[in-house]
Amino acid sequence: MEKVRSPKNIFVQGPILAEKIAQSIANHATKTDIGGHSIFLGQIRADEKPEGKVIAIEYTCYEEMALEKAFEIREDIFAKYPLTCMHIYHSLGEIKVGEICLFVFTSSKHRKAAMQACDELVERIKAELPIWGKEILDSSATQWKVNT
Amino acid sequence: MPDRIRLKAFGMLAEKIGADSLEIENPGSSETLRRLLLEQFPALQPLTFRMAVDRKLIQAETDISAGQEIALLPPFSGG
Repeated sequence: MEKVRSPKNIFVQGPILAEKIAQSIANHATKTDIGGHSIFLGQIRADEKPEGKVIAIEYTCYEEMALEKAFEIREDIFAKYPLTCMHIYHSLGEIKVGEICLFVFTSSKHRKAAMQACDELVERIKAELPIWGKEILDSSATQWKVNT
Repeated sequence: MPDRIRLKAFGMLAEKIGADSLEIENPGSSETLRRLLLEQFPALQPLTFRMAVDRKLIQAETDISAGQEIALLPPFSGG
């Protein structure tokens, strides 16, 4: 039976906790046709800027557009790679250095599809989702993050 | 229905405009809107931004009709 997918929320208020990631892995134990998972975790880096050191990033988004776009990206990636599962979580609000702000998880029968799909998802999330990060510096100045 | 549109601003643009949402008279097209915004908010002039109409990014000049939701989007920096 063809599974009908609908847009789902990808946003998490606050950091993505290690427990959530562990639970997400555990949830796949019953899906025994999976042979490989690929996981990307984005972590807040303590970048040194001329105006100070980054201590946190505050994320905001255009939620309705981001969810529509994330759904479109999901559909594209499902059409392109033979995946069993795909999960995307992105943080909103203030995330401190060392905490996780992006969790992308793909699963497939064989590793290559999972790894390539995960890589492509991360690139598309960073380029296409209307999300903005404001870097908070230890000098209490702020500046808008620029994706490279 | 009056010919008005809802404007949403995000990130650095919301900071420069001083609001994250505005209701304005419909300028009729995306390019006219851009010109009006740059006049009204000179702080936007050095900034790069794109627009979305009803949550779809526009690539070229686009007609705007009453009731549509227009968003001003600075470069994305998620992840």
